[in-house]
Amino acid sequence: MTDGPPAVLVVEDDPDLVALLEMVLVESGRRVRTAHEGRAALARVGEEMPGLILLDMRMPGMNGWEFAREFRARHGHGCPIVVVTAAENARRRAEEIGADGWLSKPFDLDEVLAMVARFLGPAGAEGPAASR
Amino acid sequence: MAIYVVLGIAWIAFSDRLLDALVPDAELQRTLQTAKGIAFVVLTAALLFLLIRGSERGLRALSAEVRATLDSIADGVMLVDAEGRIVEANRAMIQLLGATSKDEVTGPISEWSERWKLRSVDGAAVPNERLASMRVLAGEPNPRYDAILQRADGVDVFVSVSSAPVERPYGRRLAVTVLRDVSPARRLDDAREEFLASAAHEFKTPLAVIKAYAQLMARREPEEAHPLAVIQRQVDRLALLVQHLLDASRLRLDPADGRQERFDLASLGREVVEQLRHATTKHDLRVAAGAAVPVQGDRDRIGRVIATLLENGIRFSPAGGPVDVRIESDGVEAIVSVTDRGLGIPRDRQERVFERYYRAHAGMPDDPGGLGVGLDVSRAIIQRHGGRMWFESVLGEGSTFHFTLPMVAEARA
Repeated sequence: MTDGPPAVLVVEDDPDLVALLEMVLVESGRRVRTAHEGRAALARVGEEMPGLILLDMRMPGMNGWEFAREFRARHGHGCPIVVVTAAENARRRAEEIGADGWLSKPFDLDEVLAMVARFLGPAGAEGPAASR
Repeated sequence: MAIYVVLGIAWIAFSDRLLDALVPDAELQRTLQTAKGIAFVVLTAALLFLLIRGSERGLRALSAEVRATLDSIADGVMLVDAEGRIVEANRAMIQLLGATSKDEVTGPISEWSERWKLRSVDGAAVPNERLASMRVLAGEPNPRYDAILQRADGVDVFVSVSSAPVERPYGRRLAVTVLRDVSPARRLDDAREEFLASAAHEFKTPLAVIKAYAQLMARREPEEAHPLAVIQRQVDRLALLVQHLLDASRLRLDPADGRQERFDLASLGREVVEQLRHATTKHDLRVAAGAAVPVQGDRDRIGRVIATLLENGIRFSPAGGPVDVRIESDGVEAIVSVTDRGLGIPRDRQERVFERYYRAHAGMPDDPGGLGVGLDVSRAIIQRHGGRMWFESVLGEGSTFHFTLPMVAEARA
């Protein structure tokens, strides 16, 4: 297990969006881990259970639906999942996989930070720290 | 036949008298009378036999013609009797189902729908009393619906089912039911909708990236706030267009899509107006909404309908001016009206305003652009919620678009 506050696992295939989310979250004092698709995300979860997963739905390789099914099978409700999707009805995608919240693309950065704070509480006093 | 009747009566009435007059001998008269009787019976029988054979041949020819006609129809046709049994099916029906003989496609219709896995388009089995034939037998004049069947080889076929009553002079009514294979059209539709849906999806991820980076920069460089706000606004505008495309495709793909929740239409209206206030500097967006107007449905989609009407109001009044949103209710229905004082719609183009891809201002000097999907999608959303949408417009004076939604009891809202 890695030391420090629970991490946010960003599962997203667009590298620019991953980089941005990582930058913004780290700046706001979160520890961030990333994965570009479902299988890589499962490996990250295997290494360390995150405090929250931000999950894209459409990804090459293992997509969001398959990841969510596999994650629940292995870890039950190990940590909350927030769906981040461009789909027309983000809420419905979230319901489909029993997610705890949803963000529809394009989102406001403030929405993302508020969503993370809702599940992880205010950013830790330890200060910014990133790990991969 | 008539001649036979006249001759027959004449024979019965006069033959005995004739015999009396012509043959005086009583013995001979009796013999002749017996012979006459036998001859009459034989002749009558022969005549009747010829008549019956003639009409039977006619009937058989007619029946063969009807059969040939049924078989030459390209759609599957079946005849269902009052007990709900399929008593007749044409060749196209056998082919449609990939069956090998007529026996496979006739019999009780409940077994038939089970055998061929009849489902409605959303995949749910069609209950017996909802079958078009059964509805006709129960008195409905002309039911129709779309359904899916599984052919003998396991392949699904999309069919459009319709049924109509056949009234008979003797006996109870029948139902004639027609199944049209709409699979090719349906597959093309599905492919097109899927393409549209992924295209819209592919558009939104880059929009998300652009918008988020613009926001990040606006936080870091407050002095660049204005240009970065413009980028965000244009991204939002593109996102709404993409959303329309998604709505247009999704509405057809998942008819049951969408959430049902109770919400206050008045506060939704105020919210949408606030969100769009930053989209214009030339227009004065005003809301007239009183007490809460509780309605039920998909709040996001209804919000997009109001946003579409407002955006149209803004877009079609390029010189600026007020755009008014009014939300009222008569206790039964909620009515939302959006009024602009802009270009208005030429009278001869008003009829087509709700058609998909139709743009009433296309080719006009002040065409403000657009995709021509907003109103079509909006009206479809409103209709799906049990409401109506209409408009009044005068060229050069502006337009008012209205829609209604059924209200829900406030106590339960």
